[in-house]
Amino acid sequence: MKDIMRTKCLISSDVETLINQQIKKEAYSSAVYLSMASWCDRNGFDYSSDYFFKQAEEERMHQLKFYKYVLDMGGVAISPEITNIKIEYNSFREVYEEALEQEVSVTQSIKNIAARCHKEQDYVTLEFLNWFFKEQREEEYKARRALELFDVIGEEGTGRWEIDKHVGKISYSED
Amino acid sequence: MQDLITLPSITFSEVFSTKNGAIYQSDSENCWYIDFAGKLARFDYRNLLKLQKAVYQIDIENLLLSSDKAPDLEIIFICACDHCYVLSLIQIIAIKELLQGTFVMLELNHIIYDRLHRIVA
Ligand SMILES: [Fe+2]
Ligand SMILES: [Fe+2]
Repeated sequence: MKDIMRTKCLISSDVETLINQQIKKEAYSSAVYLSMASWCDRNGFDYSSDYFFKQAEEERMHQLKFYKYVLDMGGVAISPEITNIKIEYNSFREVYEEALEQEVSVTQSIKNIAARCHKEQDYVTLEFLNWFFKEQREEEYKARRALELFDVIGEEGTGRWEIDKHVGKISYSED
Repeated sequence: MQDLITLPSITFSEVFSTKNGAIYQSDSENCWYIDFAGKLARFDYRNLLKLQKAVYQIDIENLLLSSDKAPDLEIIFICACDHCYVLSLIQIIAIKELLQGTFVMLELNHIIYDRLHRIVA
């Protein structure tokens, strides 16, 4: 008997489901960053606003990368519904705390997909995920550095203005 | 899975059967035939997955516990598929069992196929 299932699709339905959940997570991240950009703009943090606009675009790009992968492998990519995006934040610092938490959550979630791939010996998807692991290294680094500015510079006086100015300068290089 | 049933024109392999129905695979047409609820219906790859999803999504426990007077009939309609099922609760349980068995057998067939034809020992 032919193995029709496998010839139609490279990834298992479990991996497909996990990646679809990840697509939703990336889309959610993008929407949250956009909301953060709006809050920062409203509150006079122009550099941070720009930073979050850029992050929103990156998350959208991640979403599409996963999306296209599912389709290329013969699966069903599901366009996610995104709800519950908050509008208000209690403080400038809280925005960055949540940004870091979000990146950590994304890294953990991709690790979980990789764990499943290991179990199934899905080396093809594992190799695909490597790009994201490298990306998360940078994403977490930048978010952590940004949050550290609050302690290094301090929020008193013109501190927040100073922090905002420095956010745009954070960059990551491997060497 | 090995016994072949020869029908006039096409060859079916039985994938899985229960006392309520059976699912056959047609290698020449790359599709499956589901013998259930008094009819033989043809499903291609996409539609078989859509049927699986539709059936697995039904909350059987909820149907069992609900006390509203509506008859416990469930309509399984699949987009861009010629067939639809109108099933009673008992039949829903039966088709779910049939599909679950089928997908386990298809997975087993995948493993066997890999070992026999794809993997260099
Ligand atoms: Fe991302
Ligand atoms: Fe990110």
